[in-house]
Amino acid sequence: MSGFLERLKRFLKGLEIGMREVSTSLIEKELEEYENVFALITMGIFSGIPSPPTGIVLRILPYMSREISVMVKRSADLDDVFAETLSHFDIG
Amino acid sequence: MSALIVLIGAIIYLVSYFTYGKALEKNVVKVDTKRETPAVRLRDNVDYMPANKFVLFGHHFASIAGAGPIAGPAIAMVWGWLPSLLWVWFGNLFIGSVHDYLSLMASVRYDGKSIQWVAGKIMGERTKTVFELYVLFAMILIIAAFMATFTALASKSPEILTGTVLFIVIAVIEGLILYRTKIPFNLATIIGVIMLVLVIFISFKWPFINIPDPHTLYILQFIYIVFAAALPVWILLQPRDYLNSFLLYAGLALGLVGAIITFRGFSWPAFTTFSARAVGGQPSPFWPTVPLVIACGALSGFHSIVGSGTTSKQLDKEISGLFVGYGAMFTEGFLSTIVITSIGAFGLEVLGAAAAKVTELGVDMAQLTAGGAYLGNNYVKAANAVGGTLAVFTKSYGMMLNKAIAIPATFGATFAGLWVSAFVMTTLDTTNRLGRYAWTELWEPVKNASAGLYTFLSNRWVASIVVAAIGLWLVWGNTYTVLWAGFAGTNQLLASIAMLTAATWVKNVQKAGKWATAVVIPAIFLWITVFVALVWYLIKVVPTLAAATKVPMYIFTIVMLILDIILVAQFFVSYRKGPELEKTKT
Amino acid sequence: MQTFFFLGKGGVGKTTLSAAFASGISNEGKRTLVVSLDPAHNLGDAFAEEIPCKIKHLSKTLDAIEVDVDRMILEYLNELSSKLKHTYRYLSVMNIDRYFDILKNSPGIEEYATLEGIKKFVFEECYDTVIFDTPPTGITVRVLAMPKISLIWTANLVSMRRKILSRRKMIENVRGKFEAEIEGEVLELTSEERNDPIMQELLIYKKETKALSELFSSDKTFVNIVTMAEDLAYFETKRIHESLTEFKIHLRKIYLNKFLRIENPPPEISGKIKEQERVTEMMKDHFKGIEIREVPMLRESPRGIPQLLDLYEKFIQ
Repeated sequence: MSGFLERLKRFLKGLEIGMREVSTSLIEKELEEYENVFALITMGIFSGIPSPPTGIVLRILPYMSREISVMVKRSADLDDVFAETLSHFDIG
Repeated sequence: MSALIVLIGAIIYLVSYFTYGKALEKNVVKVDTKRETPAVRLRDNVDYMPANKFVLFGHHFASIAGAGPIAGPAIAMVWGWLPSLLWVWFGNLFIGSVHDYLSLMASVRYDGKSIQWVAGKIMGERTKTVFELYVLFAMILIIAAFMATFTALASKSPEILTGTVLFIVIAVIEGLILYRTKIPFNLATIIGVIMLVLVIFISFKWPFINIPDPHTLYILQFIYIVFAAALPVWILLQPRDYLNSFLLYAGLALGLVGAIITFRGFSWPAFTTFSARAVGGQPSPFWPTVPLVIACGALSGFHSIVGSGTTSKQLDKEISGLFVGYGAMFTEGFLSTIVITSIGAFGLEVLGAAAAKVTELGVDMAQLTAGGAYLGNNYVKAANAVGGTLAVFTKSYGMMLNKAIAIPATFGATFAGLWVSAFVMTTLDTTNRLGRYAWTELWEPVKNASAGLYTFLSNRWVASIVVAAIGLWLVWGNTYTVLWAGFAGTNQLLASIAMLTAATWVKNVQKAGKWATAVVIPAIFLWITVFVALVWYLIKVVPTLAAATKVPMYIFTIVMLILDIILVAQFFVSYRKGPELEKTKT
Repeated sequence: MQTFFFLGKGGVGKTTLSAAFASGISNEGKRTLVVSLDPAHNLGDAFAEEIPCKIKHLSKTLDAIEVDVDRMILEYLNELSSKLKHTYRYLSVMNIDRYFDILKNSPGIEEYATLEGIKKFVFEECYDTVIFDTPPTGITVRVLAMPKISLIWTANLVSMRRKILSRRKMIENVRGKFEAEIEGEVLELTSEERNDPIMQELLIYKKETKALSELFSSDKTFVNIVTMAEDLAYFETKRIHESLTEFKIHLRKIYLNKFLRIENPPPEISGKIKEQERVTEMMKDHFKGIEIREVPMLRESPRGIPQLLDLYEKFIQ
């Protein structure tokens, strides 16, 4: 009996974690997009797109490990953006 | 009878899961417990991370379940409950779930890449373009089809309309509570659920928003779409999405309980006539047109997008794939089973309760309830008296709950209506966002020709308005069954891509030998069915459309048919290519 | 405190005039600092003294300094390099050495370092007057314009950053503190402005830049062009004036240096004299409200404070 209750507790806990994830999944996606763009713009200097004056870039570059890692990840997946974006939206 | 059908359905799905499903897992997918999934191997805690399989199931199921599995079968009752049920059971079992499961697993084997990407690799680059064009068409048709279906329902039901508007309000409130305050998540969820119940109650008791004119509703939806799709997701879309899942699970659970407890016989005929008037008032032969009516619930191309887009990147072990991919589709089929049961048991009663209005539309009640061909030919027409075929479902659902657990029938009907409208509204929002994206992509080539024009066309508001406006234009003079068939058609075309890709994968990469037939035969059958159905649609339905929309629909349909031919040609080429195809490593 | 910028092409005598002006003003009792930002570094020649990159007292009221912009650039890059090594040691994707080659030659880095050089002195309390002998006009105009341009970029970056932080906060409200794993190390992602180093840097930068921008457009800043009465010089001066106006920076004086005042000009240079007259007329006509001063060609280039003072008193004061 206690084993069953234990399993039930774990199931409910898992359910709760799942619900928390579901309730923010779209916001997370949006956040990643913003972080990606932020990194792209800051690093624009290296890819020939308009970028902020070097001064700003030099100052914030040391703190951008997260944003740059998102950007690098995104550029690796560029060949699959369309369907990947599609999948986040409820259409069924 | 109702309980019997539901139980038989459950048994069929369960048995198939453990026999056919497991066989697919072993012989076709060749699941290897030692092989790491991309969620583990490529884990980055951004997109790739293993999720608990129950949580993943819930997420996947909620993503694939929308208004589709409900609206489709509601129309399909026109052929009688038996044909619809058989398609929902066996179409799902042999085609739909196979499609979902294999799209998921193929994606898993290709590092979580989408089915579009995999199709490009296995069947050639052209397939990627075909995919993208289908999606663009689908976006516009979905907006039209869903707007039409919802309007048919809401124009005759102030309860549902009121509920829909109030739902928007509480979604915004829930968003504020969840994301902008420090109120604990569990408490916020409970508040959300309470607000939901209140909305249903208030709408049922005091339905103060009453707009019977469909055209007004179209315009209001248009405005809603354009603004909702421009908002940041946290304000409306995300909390909506969250609250929707509660409606879904409640609807499913209550429906199951209701069907079993009422233990009611089916008054609806098992079979009306082969060519009942399902689409656009035209005699629609069950084969090949059933996939143009029942999409999700039996087979839906959009599931492959969800499965191979997010789910495959979160699958913790290969062995969980069957549960998540295959199992979720079965559950959706089960949902459609409940819809059919509900209408089967109470549908005629619903129509009978509105006898006066039905007669006004020129339908003879006595002949209708006698069943047979008359019902098949006049069901859709008669249903307009209550709000379309969807309303036949919501009202029968209400009656079912009333008989089972003594909730007022209107309350149950309002709940069911809100359940459907919640998903419709969310889908309209997301489709507009995606349509906007696809629209902007489409005009890329213009950038070089005229930068100014491109800037104008790709402006967020312009793109949003244009996409919604095209949907509005399509819906303006046409009935929902016609638009629904258009949407379902594109949906099945997307499914064809996924099935043909899966078939090629299974034969050439997986080398599943004779087991490949389990995928190839359904894939070919599907392709033929959909192709013939679209030709039928082109010849029989499009000419009956409102004059202004005839030309674009002709163009849509012909383009889709051409792309479909290109698709099958690509399939035969790559299918024959055989062992050259290598599984790519990213 | 008043700030003076002397702009001019190489060879027009801008350094000499800056030095003369500095000598004169300091002689009137104002505590003066003259700063050379010009990589050509001729200030020492003008004063006939070695001017190092530390402040040198030339007289009781006059100090001078030469700023080595290239060295500043290297210093910034080194500082960046050490900071980056600390945060990026595990980001194998980035090849740090190549970074610096690109940054070292990136458009804007020279302007940035020059602006930093200006910033160091322009808010000094202990001088009444700061005079800048500027680099070639192209860079200087960009440098003077930079604060306004930077402000626009900074505003955009700040607003983008706010969007990111607000979404992190939303997710935090539901899921607790946001942690990201980057190459094996766990990083806590902050959602508060005051804890976000990027936001703080942006805000500090915004404040500094705003102060500079306001200063450059104020009545405490005097931008002067040193040029010659020639056609090409006229067009160039026109262009500089337009650029400065665009950025709300006032042009105060135009010095027509090496002006030919010859009693009986030989025929070889009569064409030159005519051009000179013509251009002077055009300038007076076009640059209304801006004082135009003719500084004659001297027999010898002035060297040392006494000669510079003489130049000042005769033609510049």
